[in-house]
Amino acid sequence: MQNTSSTEQIEQDVLAAMSRPSRCYLACIFFAGLVFLGGMALWSRQIALGMGVAGISHPVGWGVYITDFVFWVGIAHSGTLISAVLYIFRARFRTSFNRAAEAMTIFALMVAGLFPLIHLGRVWLAYFLFPYPNQRQLWVNFRSPLVWDVFAVSTYMLVSLVFFFVGLVPDLAIVARRRPGFVGKIYRIASLGWVGNSQQWRHYTKLYFFLAAFATPLVASVHSIVSWDFAVSIVPGWHTTIFAPYFVAGAILSGTAMVITLVIPMRRLLRLETYIPISHIESIAKILLLTSLIVGFAYVVEQGLAFYSGNLYEMEQFRFRALGDYRLLFWIMVSCNAILPLTLFVGRLRRNLAYLFILSLLVNVGMWLERFVIVVTSLARDFDPYAWGNYTPSLTEIGITAGSFGLFFLLFLLFIKILPVLSITELKER
Amino acid sequence: MHDTKLSIGGCYSLLLILAATIGLIEYGGLIAQPGSLLLTLTFWGSIIQGAVAVAAVTALVRAQWIASLRRELLALYPLLLLLALLFALLWPQLDLFPWSDHPTVWLNRPFFMGRNLTSLLLTFLAGRQLALHSTSGAPFKDRYAVIYLATFVLSQSLLGFDWLMSAAYPWISTMFGLYFFTEALYAGIAVSGLAMLLYFRPRMQTAPKDTARHLRDVGLLLFGFSILWAGLFFAQFLLIWYANLPEEVHFVTERLASFPERELCWLFLIGLFLVPFVALLGSQAKGDLRFVSAVSLLVLSGLFAERLFILLPAIPYHGGALLLYNGLIFVMLLLVLHSSERLLPSSSFLTKD
Repeated sequence: MQNTSSTEQIEQDVLAAMSRPSRCYLACIFFAGLVFLGGMALWSRQIALGMGVAGISHPVGWGVYITDFVFWVGIAHSGTLISAVLYIFRARFRTSFNRAAEAMTIFALMVAGLFPLIHLGRVWLAYFLFPYPNQRQLWVNFRSPLVWDVFAVSTYMLVSLVFFFVGLVPDLAIVARRRPGFVGKIYRIASLGWVGNSQQWRHYTKLYFFLAAFATPLVASVHSIVSWDFAVSIVPGWHTTIFAPYFVAGAILSGTAMVITLVIPMRRLLRLETYIPISHIESIAKILLLTSLIVGFAYVVEQGLAFYSGNLYEMEQFRFRALGDYRLLFWIMVSCNAILPLTLFVGRLRRNLAYLFILSLLVNVGMWLERFVIVVTSLARDFDPYAWGNYTPSLTEIGITAGSFGLFFLLFLLFIKILPVLSITELKER
Repeated sequence: MHDTKLSIGGCYSLLLILAATIGLIEYGGLIAQPGSLLLTLTFWGSIIQGAVAVAAVTALVRAQWIASLRRELLALYPLLLLLALLFALLWPQLDLFPWSDHPTVWLNRPFFMGRNLTSLLLTFLAGRQLALHSTSGAPFKDRYAVIYLATFVLSQSLLGFDWLMSAAYPWISTMFGLYFFTEALYAGIAVSGLAMLLYFRPRMQTAPKDTARHLRDVGLLLFGFSILWAGLFFAQFLLIWYANLPEEVHFVTERLASFPERELCWLFLIGLFLVPFVALLGSQAKGDLRFVSAVSLLVLSGLFAERLFILLPAIPYHGGALLLYNGLIFVMLLLVLHSSERLLPSSSFLTKD
């Protein structure tokens, strides 16, 4: 009897988050929507006036838009990875984060997918990237990593969506049972006739494990491909073999930070303290620390080997990063991603939610700057001093970047009112 | 019947004798080519440090995988000292490295020996502290595992950059550090698979359910690491192939153009990826002792082939000495595994899940 009442309580508590929105929530929705619309307006302006309104020019042809793309893809990659890897390793604390992390993945991918289009300028020609038969004998260059991106990111989007949806099915059936009327019917249809019998659970567990096992190497491969957008070139600072694991570790670092940024306020506002205990947040803080150590290791190796190699161009590139025109951004990046997270060796700080929240914001800033530093500094200081030149983002680029954050948070805010933010069935098992 | 298990004092004495024997062979005028010691070190450096690192990782994350082997893996810690002793013997052989005639700030004899010896000794001390703390019966403190892993990453990075990459100086690959400490963990799991061969039957009689589950976990980890290894290997060589820069591709082309490096390349691809991936794809294979131990042996063979692939074009070696050194250290490893209960008396932390 007690068992039944506790499972009942879990359902009530988690579904309470989906109740009528508060004023504060509506204000957040309004603000995020406004920022997003501002970004859309600026993109429309860019389409109307041309790419001249963006700051990118010769020699820095990749700027904030590519930075944003890599940043959001990175955020997207850790969501499924956190959820899938922790599932495979039977880590119990995943129940506090997996739903939010998976949702974050989907939304971040949606946002990331916009940036190649924004960067393209003539967005109506985006379909050229897809290998379709046509009379003009246009055919994509399969040796270009940009084309690999198209396939990798779209495959990842598909697998992440399926993984997210499969995880939701039992919970959707619970929502359907508790919601009367038309809304309940929609949830019932979405739950695909789930009744929770032993046969369904057997199939479900197998499928979920398979998807988790499939998603894990996929995540690593997709972000490796994103890193190869840069590394297959021979540009100093980009052409380096560590890029693939370095980008994957960076993606997990930024994604973990974003999960913390989202979950800590969500836990408080939706009163989910019982289901997201401090010990679980401490565990995810350890993942943040571990990935920060890997990223820090990559920073040291990159800088060190540039000088070890004796290659003039590499040495100049890394000198420029640390001491040149973008040095402030470089040192903020190093501080936020590799130095400040070291404080998480102190157990008390790992359990301090306010500290963790601020740190997660700083790591996100640091990770965005890391992509900016990688993308921009290498192009600004290529081989030929005659072609050197700095880049400053225009207001349009900054506005569109802000708009992307608006879209991301808008989608996440909508998610917490439409779907259960925690996996009810896994909480019951716990 | 004599007790064949080593005490801790006996173990250290035997290690000293082993190091002295190798030193005698290297410098007693028995062999002309000096590279065998470096080859042996790069191989066993990964295996021994990796095995203890696997135990440290499982302790740190309170993992259930291979928990029944934690004691055996930790008991290998005295061998960490052997690595330092053997490395000290390398001092007169630094001419093997192409940078020795043109020292740089990073690559010069005193600094090279100093940093590597320090890191090896630190790894030994950290491994010893971890092992002894694990047997003390006190509640486990994560810091010991963290310190060991930090020294492990440092040592393995230096193994990659200093021992292996600098033999092809000025060729560089920034992946080498990360690649070799990942590979060392892979080797550590393979050691667990081999240890299973020794301990599976007796443990099946006392705890059949746990032992079977742990064997499956070793199989699963070998499978997972084969994919991870292939990913890192591919990521490294794709970039070299794609950029096609003369200063980079020569490292690969000169190895693929000659015997036996070309054949060794196939061997390590088969041993480190193809066979573990295909053989352990099915769930039944992961729980089969013969499969798991055979794959473990193949992984270690692949690792050895890879070390030869990297170093053979750059350094000379003596085949007989190479076989003898590796045989002696392998026997020592088996002896230590066999003596693990005496080297690390039982504590609840070592054996519980």
